[in-house]
Amino acid sequence: MATEFHNLQELRHSASLANKVFIQRDYTDGTVCKFQTKFPSELDSRIERTLFEDTVKMLNNYYAEAEKIGGQSYIEGCLACLTVYLVFLCIETRYDKVLKKISRYIQEQNEKVYAPRGLLITDPIERGMRVIEISVYEDRGSSGSSSGSSTTSSSGR
Amino acid sequence: TPSSLSVGGALGDPSPSRPFRPSRYVPVSAATAFLVGATTLFLCFTCPWLSERFSSSIPLYNAVVFLFTLANFCMATFMDPGIFPRAEEDEDKEDDFRAPLYKTVEVRGIQVRMKWCSTCRFYRPPRCSHCSVCDNCVEEFDHHCPWVNNCIGRRNYRYFFLFLLSLTIHIMDVFGFSLLYILHHTKQLDQVNSGVTMAVMCVAGLFFVPVAGLTGFHTVLVARGRTTNEQVTGKFRGGVNPFTHGCLKNIAHVLCSSQAPRYLGRLRKPLSVQVQPPFLRPPLSEAQLAAKVLDNGIQQSKSSLEIMESQSIDADPPPPPKPEHRYPGLPHTQNEECSLLTEAPPTPSLYKYRPAYSSPGKNHTASAHSSKMSRGNSMTESPSVPVTTGQPSYRSDPSLSSRGGAGFRGGGEGGRAGSGGLGGASAFGGRSYPSFTDTLLQSAAASCSSSLRSAHTAHNALGPLISEGTTSTSYKSLANQTRNGSLSYESLLTPSESPEFESAAHDTAPGAPPILGYTSPFLSAQQREGSLQACPASLRPSPNRAFLRPTSSPPSRAPPLSPRARSLGSPPPGPAPGHTHLGKSLSYGGGAELQHRPSSSGGGTPMPKLTDFYLLFFFPPHQIFSSTIKQNVANHNTHSHKPAGGMKKVTGVGGTTYGISV
Repeated sequence: MATEFHNLQELRHSASLANKVFIQRDYTDGTVCKFQTKFPSELDSRIERTLFEDTVKMLNNYYAEAEKIGGQSYIEGCLACLTVYLVFLCIETRYDKVLKKISRYIQEQNEKVYAPRGLLITDPIERGMRVIEISVYEDRGSSGSSSGSSTTSSSGR
Repeated sequence: TPSSLSVGGALGDPSPSRPFRPSRYVPVSAATAFLVGATTLFLCFTCPWLSERFSSSIPLYNAVVFLFTLANFCMATFMDPGIFPRAEEDEDKEDDFRAPLYKTVEVRGIQVRMKWCSTCRFYRPPRCSHCSVCDNCVEEFDHHCPWVNNCIGRRNYRYFFLFLLSLTIHIMDVFGFSLLYILHHTKQLDQVNSGVTMAVMCVAGLFFVPVAGLTGFHTVLVARGRTTNEQVTGKFRGGVNPFTHGCLKNIAHVLCSSQAPRYLGRLRKPLSVQVQPPFLRPPLSEAQLAAKVLDNGIQQSKSSLEIMESQSIDADPPPPPKPEHRYPGLPHTQNEECSLLTEAPPTPSLYKYRPAYSSPGKNHTASAHSSKMSRGNSMTESPSVPVTTGQPSYRSDPSLSSRGGAGFRGGGEGGRAGSGGLGGASAFGGRSYPSFTDTLLQSAAASCSSSLRSAHTAHNALGPLISEGTTSTSYKSLANQTRNGSLSYESLLTPSESPEFESAAHDTAPGAPPILGYTSPFLSAQQREGSLQACPASLRPSPNRAFLRPTSSPPSRAPPLSPRARSLGSPPPGPAPGHTHLGKSLSYGGGAELQHRPSSSGGGTPMPKLTDFYLLFFFPPHQIFSSTIKQNVANHNTHSHKPAGGMKKVTGVGGTTYGISV
């Protein structure tokens, strides 16, 4: 009985960080913020390619929207000059608004798509928008089962 | 709360425990004092009469312009320029001694090199550069401005530019209205008001020319979509700038884009998502299943091959699979899916980079990596970042850095917007000087891979020999140490090479093959292979000796070889290299001339004396002696004091030499 209890506990908290995958920036269009949609091989056994690509494409769209130079950014610029930049204390810039949207989106993706697969996406802004960091978790508790052996695939070192 | 206002730069200090240097605050204090002081005197002594005599809108107008100028000045001074936070440890898992120093990416059809920043622990994005004064990598680095004591980068370039514009207008207004006052008080010049007004006029007149010149210079930069660093280091001399979108769009990008977010000082959201097993697993794709059937443990699966082929964007060629991955079918504990994923991953950080496999020719990016050298842990953290260590970064006025440039050397990097893609190389850092050095050093370095760890001991000996190119192509550990010594020579010999950009038109050094600086990684690979095969033994003994063989470079490098060889042992010949850069000093001294750099083959003309004055203006003498550049002064003293007929040459940022008539 003690053994069964022990196994249950192991199964309960057994996710441990095994690896981190870094999705690099795609600079083919210049310095505009865009991430590579190429599917990393480490995730091949963890998540469907389409899901991953959708996430990255959505993020790229958000960043493109943030950096768009259009009506709103013109108005913000003029207002900033007129108010001697005091307006920045009061309003949220377009970029900040989109960053919040991105943060919510990543949170939602983590909850719905990535965490169930043992992955976690870190908001790129925390890394200076240079990489999307995807943490890969291992199911340590069930090391004897098939899912536990996936350690070898991702670490491979 | 809107977070666009952030205190960085002048006040904030994200890098750990930097010594407090009061000399850094002298120019900014002087600038503030002049601006506020002169304007206040003008408003108090001159404006009352003006408002009575003409209109009260005159002081009002002047006050508004002054307020706008001051606001932009404060924003330029206190705003975080776009500092990248240091990468966390797990982002870089490669053994530093084996990881390439450069990664190449293609930006709108042009190859751009991203250099590894050993301080910040990541490959610098295109247009990013590491500022040695601030000890940070800055996004879209323009220059480090001593007058605001801050780096000018992506986030605050707009404010800096508007500051220059508004300051020019303000100076013109003050001068004009003061002149008006004086002209109406020619009989009362002994009055206090008149005296003060004349003093203000003098100050305004004095500052007008350099400020207007700098404004004009930056206007051209904005229109052309370049940063100061890129302009000064001549990165786009061939005419191909991958970052430009046309004049109007460039201006819109600077003035009308939304305020970029800061990366530092952000609140980290606590992780609210729980990761609990059991985990979902994707089903095996058909390709994987089919491949698995055929896979006898040796063949590559289709999916993994696809992954390899699609890696063109990623600059790092995958290393060959490790032996234990070659036979995926055999390992007992592996999943079915895992067994197919034996090929090199696209993300470099997950795999160690073995020197034995680092042969060029894997794919097009491999050629760029043929010049790879392992990054190496910075042996000495301070010189590690080529430019960071104690090198003053490029100042807002290029001559500034050249003055300190004597000590700058590496400092140049800070100044130079190393260009992220250029790997923050700029003149000093990443730029590999003519591939001659690349190949030479590559072959030397490649054969001495085992002695890399002891490379740091060769610091002094390597100094004169290790050129920019050396460091750029050599292992980072080597690069870190030699950078200080080598930069001065590099800058003199190769004024404005931009090997990072492998576009067509480059005529850099006279007599050098046109592709020299620009296709160096590729050529270097070839050269290296040849050299490796040709004389591995001769270069093997030790790093010291290996680098002491300038003559062993391939014959195609002969033209640039000779000046370089000379520079290796002694300061380069006086006038020739120095004069080639005079044009640059002209452009900065005069302010208004935005020249194309003269080719290094053209002889220089002696600088006009007037520009000398302005050079001195822009280079506060104390900068030369600031502690940040002390460590480099020794390295540069020899060549910065070359006798040249009354012309004092100073190495500037980006390898340019400015001559100052003494």
